[in-house]
Amino acid sequence: MAPSADQHARVIPGGFSVLSLRFSEDDAHAALHQLCVKEHRVRAESSTNRPLDRTLFVLNVPPYCTESVLTEVFSRFGSVQSVELKERPGASETSHSGVSRHFTDTLRQCFRVAYIVFKHASAVNAAKRHPENVPLVVSTAERPVRTGIHKWIQQYSDSLIKASSLQQDIDQFMNNYDRQKEEEAERQNQEAEQQQEDEEGWVKVTKSSRGVKVRPHSETANERMLKREKKKSERKELLNFYTWQHRNTQKEHIAELRKKFEEDKQRIAVLRAQRKFRPY
Amino acid sequence: MKKKRKETTETETEDQMELLDDSQNEEEDEIKSVKQFKDSKRKAKGTVSDDGVLRPVKLSKKELYKAPTVEELNQLKEAENLFHCSILKMQMEELLKEVALSEQRKKLVDSFVHQITDFLQCVPESEVVELDDISWLSGVEVPFLLVPSTAKGKFHMEPPASINLVGSYPLGMCIKPKVSVDLAVTIPASILHPMDAINQRYSRKRALYLAGLARHLSFAKCVGSLHYSCLHGNRLRPVLLLKPPGNASSKVTLRIHAVPPPDFLKPSRFHPQKNNIRTEWFTGVASTQEDAESSEPPTPHYNSTVLGDHLPLSHLQFLSAVSAQCPAFGEGVALLKVWLRQRELDQGAGCFCGFLASMLMAYLLSTHKVGKTMNPYQLLRNALHFLASTDLTENGITLAKNPDSKAPSLPEFHAAYSVVFVDPSGHLNLLADMTVFTYKRIQHEASLSLTFWDDPTVDGFQALLMTPKSMLRTYDNVFKLVNLVKLQTSCKKLLLLNELMDHSGNYVLTALPFVLSLLQRGLGERIHLLVHSLPQDPEWSVGSAPPKHKDQPPLSIGLLLNLEHALSVLERGPPADNPKAAEFRQLWGSRSQLRRFQDGAITEAVLWSGNSISQRRFIVLKIITHLLELHADIPKSCITVGGGQLDDLIECDIQNHTTGEEESLEVVQSYDDLSRKLWQLKDLPLSITSVQGAHQALRYTQVFPPVPVRLDYSFFDKKKNHLGLVPKENKPCPCYIAPIKVIVHMEGSGKWPSEPMAIRHVKAAFHICLRELLCKQHNYRCHATPGYLDVWKDGLVFRIQVAYHREPQILRESLTPEGMLISRDNAEAQALELETLHKPFLTSTLHGLQQQYGCFGVVCRLAKRWLASQFLLEDIREEAADLLVASLFLHPAPFTPPSSPQVGFLRFLHLLSTFDWKNNPLIVNLNGKLTAVEQTDIKNDFVASRESLPTMFIVTPNDKKVSVWTKQVPSVQMLQRAVMLAAESLRVLETQLDSSEKQDMRVAFRPPLVAYDVLIHLDSKQVPLLAKAVDPPVNTFQRGTHGGQPFASGGALPVIDYDPVRLYLSELREAFGELALFFYDPYGGTVIAVLWKPNAFEPKPFKTSLMNARRVEVNGDVVTTVPNVEAILQDFRIIGEGLVKRLELRTEKWVV
Repeated sequence: MAPSADQHARVIPGGFSVLSLRFSEDDAHAALHQLCVKEHRVRAESSTNRPLDRTLFVLNVPPYCTESVLTEVFSRFGSVQSVELKERPGASETSHSGVSRHFTDTLRQCFRVAYIVFKHASAVNAAKRHPENVPLVVSTAERPVRTGIHKWIQQYSDSLIKASSLQQDIDQFMNNYDRQKEEEAERQNQEAEQQQEDEEGWVKVTKSSRGVKVRPHSETANERMLKREKKKSERKELLNFYTWQHRNTQKEHIAELRKKFEEDKQRIAVLRAQRKFRPY
Repeated sequence: MKKKRKETTETETEDQMELLDDSQNEEEDEIKSVKQFKDSKRKAKGTVSDDGVLRPVKLSKKELYKAPTVEELNQLKEAENLFHCSILKMQMEELLKEVALSEQRKKLVDSFVHQITDFLQCVPESEVVELDDISWLSGVEVPFLLVPSTAKGKFHMEPPASINLVGSYPLGMCIKPKVSVDLAVTIPASILHPMDAINQRYSRKRALYLAGLARHLSFAKCVGSLHYSCLHGNRLRPVLLLKPPGNASSKVTLRIHAVPPPDFLKPSRFHPQKNNIRTEWFTGVASTQEDAESSEPPTPHYNSTVLGDHLPLSHLQFLSAVSAQCPAFGEGVALLKVWLRQRELDQGAGCFCGFLASMLMAYLLSTHKVGKTMNPYQLLRNALHFLASTDLTENGITLAKNPDSKAPSLPEFHAAYSVVFVDPSGHLNLLADMTVFTYKRIQHEASLSLTFWDDPTVDGFQALLMTPKSMLRTYDNVFKLVNLVKLQTSCKKLLLLNELMDHSGNYVLTALPFVLSLLQRGLGERIHLLVHSLPQDPEWSVGSAPPKHKDQPPLSIGLLLNLEHALSVLERGPPADNPKAAEFRQLWGSRSQLRRFQDGAITEAVLWSGNSISQRRFIVLKIITHLLELHADIPKSCITVGGGQLDDLIECDIQNHTTGEEESLEVVQSYDDLSRKLWQLKDLPLSITSVQGAHQALRYTQVFPPVPVRLDYSFFDKKKNHLGLVPKENKPCPCYIAPIKVIVHMEGSGKWPSEPMAIRHVKAAFHICLRELLCKQHNYRCHATPGYLDVWKDGLVFRIQVAYHREPQILRESLTPEGMLISRDNAEAQALELETLHKPFLTSTLHGLQQQYGCFGVVCRLAKRWLASQFLLEDIREEAADLLVASLFLHPAPFTPPSSPQVGFLRFLHLLSTFDWKNNPLIVNLNGKLTAVEQTDIKNDFVASRESLPTMFIVTPNDKKVSVWTKQVPSVQMLQRAVMLAAESLRVLETQLDSSEKQDMRVAFRPPLVAYDVLIHLDSKQVPLLAKAVDPPVNTFQRGTHGGQPFASGGALPVIDYDPVRLYLSELREAFGELALFFYDPYGGTVIAVLWKPNAFEPKPFKTSLMNARRVEVNGDVVTTVPNVEAILQDFRIIGEGLVKRLELRTEKWVV
């Protein structure tokens, strides 16, 4: 490519530089996606996996660009340490530790944002200064990116997994889980023990024992209790015993009829408004 | 970039607003006039919102509890006692207001009648001519078929003796929409001769007189249009139809009847057993017998026709006397007329017209079957009850109090006519022309209406008076008899000369009862009811000759099937030695054969061919054509049937012509076997508590149920480690193997962990465990994944999913910082409940429904095929569609549950297009579990919280508050589109079915593609269900299957659930769902239609969270973004590489 006069980066207000992205190098006239890049700069973040000076923040990454593809594409600016893809910008999540790939949810195939961590800070600036009219290329002859039928067949093939490897993952997870549970139980035991009276009838009161309740209470249990109380009070009540009660019931009845009458009238009014009474 | 769209919908809403304004003005007028309701009216008006949506009523305490007046108390009491709820009463009152004639209209009618009467008084006299000579009628034809052409007699014109209003108008019982006013013009006695009753002489003179009047009226300025017609299809009783000129022409029709002077002929001459048409004259062959007079056959129908002309004035007197006794008489009759009209019973030959309705009401009053103080509602109810419970074909009724001695007795009437209702004079049978079949139809309708009326959960008003019941939508099968001239030969074949003479040569009416009773005998218990359409009254201009009998539109014959017997291939007759055997042989002709049965009996029998259920649905047609050809000389070509073409759309096996019933059954049987094997598995760590199917094929509603396949292994790549087959890249996409989902609940136990992630692992462990056991004990190929276990069995794939009943609950639970255990609903838990709880339940319930109504599944499949082809199946979910169809079977009012695919499908379209989703929940009372009280509560709750509920709200006994299947979709717009498409499809289909020619039924299944912005054409090689497309291409590719019996177990695991198009669609939606909508027909469509969202192209300010697939535009300091359309279109190609053939851009709608 011959260097031309307007070979300079396009920077838009807001500090983002615009890079262009092409899927494949063999068709030169294809439309380009625009990637907006900027160095990653967030005040409150203290995350270690996104060092402020070496991280490039990329917007509008097409769905066919996976982590490995981005690593390849951006390594022209300097060697890449890690790539993190997310659906929307935000703090990095702690990934499920100890859960095998069989149990993690598959990613949605949508446009995403990327946090690219380079090994050297200079690469960030190199990327930002990249001219817009020299597009980055996703799929090249050396490292083709598969989409469509190829990809789906590959996906299907990958989804066939051996039961034994799955079993292995499960066993590992369940062992961990059991160990955790055991530790938990032991801790609770100890706490309970501390509350027990010793031989002389003394109970040691500590700060931590306050949290442990005698009975675990839940919302549903509370509701049930309230309902029971209400029922009890209802049962005790006398109905239609005194004259005033009887009168009240009658009054309620008429009020009910009136209300229904009004409701029906309203319904009719709506239907009339829609001309629903023309039989044909 | 600009979008042009939705113009039509805007104008529509404007129209609605206008309508609304009108009605509100009306309402205001009422408020002024009716003072006592002033307060409440205003209240009601206040709560009606502008968009026609119901809002909960709010009454102030003061108003609710104020002291009631006596009047109000009475009113409330009446409403409470007489009606399910007072709404029905109010609805009927509104309806009566709608159909009653306005004062303005009455004035118009009166002045028009006055003008015409004046004009008719001065008819000029003419010279006496022979009856045959019609030259004096220049330019006007005689409204009479002159067969035979000769007639003796003289005729001349003279001004009428008198002109009277008769019929419903003077009684004040005339109702909209067809306002016709009857005017009886009395022919002067000097024109007629006492012997004219014989040989149609009177009738011809009458017709001539009418022609004379027509000629005179053609000079009148006050007449807009002039037509002939005939009364109730009776060609001997022509009438003259007059319409006022100009705008008023549609408002009123004046019918001029020519009648003889009241006592001109003695009624005793028209005794039903007397003859008034001589055979010699009619046939033109001189009779050889001596005592010709005594051997002449009786002519009851002719007699009643002539006699009927004498009586309109006395009938009018009688009715006005009766109606004066009962204040609600007119309104009661009006309701009955509306009821009849909605059932297409009030017009045509042998109809139950409005006049008969008032006569019936008069009969009920005079026999004290209804009281004089009853209101219209009670009158209608009692009339229907009387019709339902009285068989006038056996026990006729009479209005005559003291008939004179010469009047015929009831048995004499019964001998001559099939239905008997004698008028006040005692001489005339009012129902002379009605066939038994029409009366049975009325009886059926009446008893059906009463059952709906008594059911508090049915909207009786809607079912009784508002829903039109056209033949096509009411009857399971509707056959058409075209080319009616063939009935002439059948009259000969059935030896009906005397009857033909009686009907004055109208061979259609003559042959009809005989042909129908023949069919009734042949169809026997295959049908519940046999009905026919009433031949409509022809109408022709005065300048043209009357239409011939053969020019009538085709006759429809409707059947209500009895599915228990309708599909049986065998017609078993009496034993060979039984005397009835001869009768049986005579009926069936050469098709009857002696057969020996397994129980040892040797009987006559007829065997019809038909391997699949879809073929057996045509047995009824075969019987009809066979009988008509054999006995009535009506060739096959004269009988057309619509709807069989619809079956093709869901055809599963082209060779055997199956429509999925057999395939579904096979799937269910294989599933039952699997389920039994699962229950019997040994060595499971926890026991199984339930095995439930959760797939549509297991409730017979999968459009194309999975078919067992045998694989061609060379077509696939093999994955290492014998895991299974993988599609090859250069081959067409392999056939789609749908996994049939089965939910297996495991027993609850303390060993289940209490964390969601751990539960998922345990379930995966169960899948592996089940896999090993099934593999070891039954040698099935299985594949376990964390989410499910696929089992390859009988050429089908079952996808077993283990469930733990407490899991949704655990997903909902969380701990607050205070240590309180709270339960909060979330999407994940709901999705899990949907899969493991609601789906299996729905499947088992609908499976039961299929057992009850044999045609439920096929209607579902047809409905869903239509939804899919119109790109709606993703918005109206399959389960929602199933429930919609289920409601047709469970709540058929005003119909009976459908028993054929076609009628069910038509009603589905009707339901979808007319249901008021805005104001009503659709209650599907599965297993009848919802009581009336619960249903009212549901409706009230619905009104109270309409805004927060889904647009389409479907309630089932297990789901009263949420409507799980329609919670996410459809949106308001999509529902509106569905409604529109359904209405249009229904219109197209019904006109096609109604026309007698064969037409292409698939039109309603081809989606209009004009509305979309981009069309993505797919490579048909990669569309697995290509062969099931609405218009399947000739070349459908080899897809890796063999013919032949599939293996029960073993073999390599096939490619399961691999559909590139669906994968493509889901990627498109994930990537561009915010900008565009994607539509696709999942059954073999080769086009994905893309619609940009209306506001997609608006420039938006630059934001880091809003940059997806967009491009920046800098304008000074302002940065905006717009969709990068060219790159997006490029991405459509990239993402679907190998699948997308080409993109078709409709840029005329949107400009880049």
